[in-house]
Amino acid sequence: MRRIVVSITLLVPFLVTVTALAQGVGHHAPRIFVPSELMSFFVTSEPIGDGGNLGGLEGADAHCQRLATNAGAGHRTWRAYLSTQARPGKPAINARDRIGDGPWYHPRGVLRRPIKTSEIHGDTLVEAQRGANMFKAFALTEKGDEINGVGDPLPNLHDMLTGTRPDGRAFTGTEDRTCNNWTSNDEGAAQVGHSDRIGYGNQSWNSSHATTGCSQEDFASWNGAGLFYCFAVD
Amino acid sequence: MTFFVTSEPIGDGGNLGGLEGADAHCQTLATAVGAGDFIWRAYLSTQERPGEPAVNARDRIGQGPWHNFNGVMIASSLAHLHGDTIELARMGNNLHKQTGLTEKGAIVPGLYDFLDPRDNDWEYVKNTPYSNRHEVLTGSQPDGRAFPPGIDYTCNSWTSNEDPEEDAPGLTGGPGRPNAQIGFPDREGGGNGSWNSSHGTRGCSQEALPRTHGIGQYYCFAVTGEGQ
Repeated sequence: MRRIVVSITLLVPFLVTVTALAQGVGHHAPRIFVPSELMSFFVTSEPIGDGGNLGGLEGADAHCQRLATNAGAGHRTWRAYLSTQARPGKPAINARDRIGDGPWYHPRGVLRRPIKTSEIHGDTLVEAQRGANMFKAFALTEKGDEINGVGDPLPNLHDMLTGTRPDGRAFTGTEDRTCNNWTSNDEGAAQVGHSDRIGYGNQSWNSSHATTGCSQEDFASWNGAGLFYCFAVD
Repeated sequence: MTFFVTSEPIGDGGNLGGLEGADAHCQTLATAVGAGDFIWRAYLSTQERPGEPAVNARDRIGQGPWHNFNGVMIASSLAHLHGDTIELARMGNNLHKQTGLTEKGAIVPGLYDFLDPRDNDWEYVKNTPYSNRHEVLTGSQPDGRAFPPGIDYTCNSWTSNEDPEEDAPGLTGGPGRPNAQIGFPDREGGGNGSWNSSHGTRGCSQEALPRTHGIGQYYCFAVTGEGQ
């Protein structure tokens, strides 16, 4: 990282430009990236920005669709990997039931084997023991960037909102794990997974721990920004 | 410290001198850093042979918990380490690149570290300590047990440094294909990231191991838990 900044300093004499570029290195690197035509999975490059209030599943799906469209992949139907909990008159919705059948390719296409639905959820014991092809280097944004995780320069943004149990299904209790079905930006809690699969003593990509609170600040205190996973269903 | 990845291989490919030789290497490395008071065991299985029952890696290492160089817990029990129930397996243990340290406290270079086209060539790898070498020998299935007899997954019970006669494609054993099952301390690669059972090697010579980014390192566990 430092070497990149130094070389930019040598090439560009204008300090303002250097500062802007240096700030851009990493998560929001200003460069043109065209995702693979195969892309059917990405991590949102930016949060909606209102904590756990995503505007419900509809708002979250629209965010996925908008980011995908900006990246040139709007021809697919995108869904946020999020569950909602049961409410009177409203059944729970399971994240795993919303995302189609896969397999899913990341924004750099065939460089890595696609992820398969039974593997990411560990549907059999051996699949669960082995794990899936969901790694830090797989969980790229639609701009092709890795998400900063444990051991990277701060801030660590590896908490991915899911509201989901490890098997991809919604929580059944009354305890909030979905920021009031993705409408709360203060009270409540969100279940998160880790895009780098490191932290909290486990390796879950989709269900590592719950946050305390649903504000943007609450998420930051747990090493997240309110990012989430998007999958193409077609 | 009751867990480490060997900082160096024995150096003769899959010939570790059997389980005894592998255990002795663990003990030597541990002793050199002042941890020789524990009984150290290599996390390796051997397959059933005529007159020789199988040995399961998971049955050799006590009950846990096991902690790394920094005192961070890798796993609290055999069930946690291996994911014996589907709930445990989905969550995984606490072994990853930041915790899978050697007895000297070093991270094992992993996938995407200092990428170089030569990093699967032993002549380059042996002189380049920071190149990717994330495949560690286990000879085990994901549950920590030996493979059934037949296809070799243990470089002939860790006595062989032979390669297949023809370097056939693929990463599994077969008739006439000496092979070692490996896992990844950085939990990346092989399409699954298994810490102990991702895929096989191209052969059992020291030169064959780096072709898929390993050098013959393995896990050492101190025998911990009740009765020790």
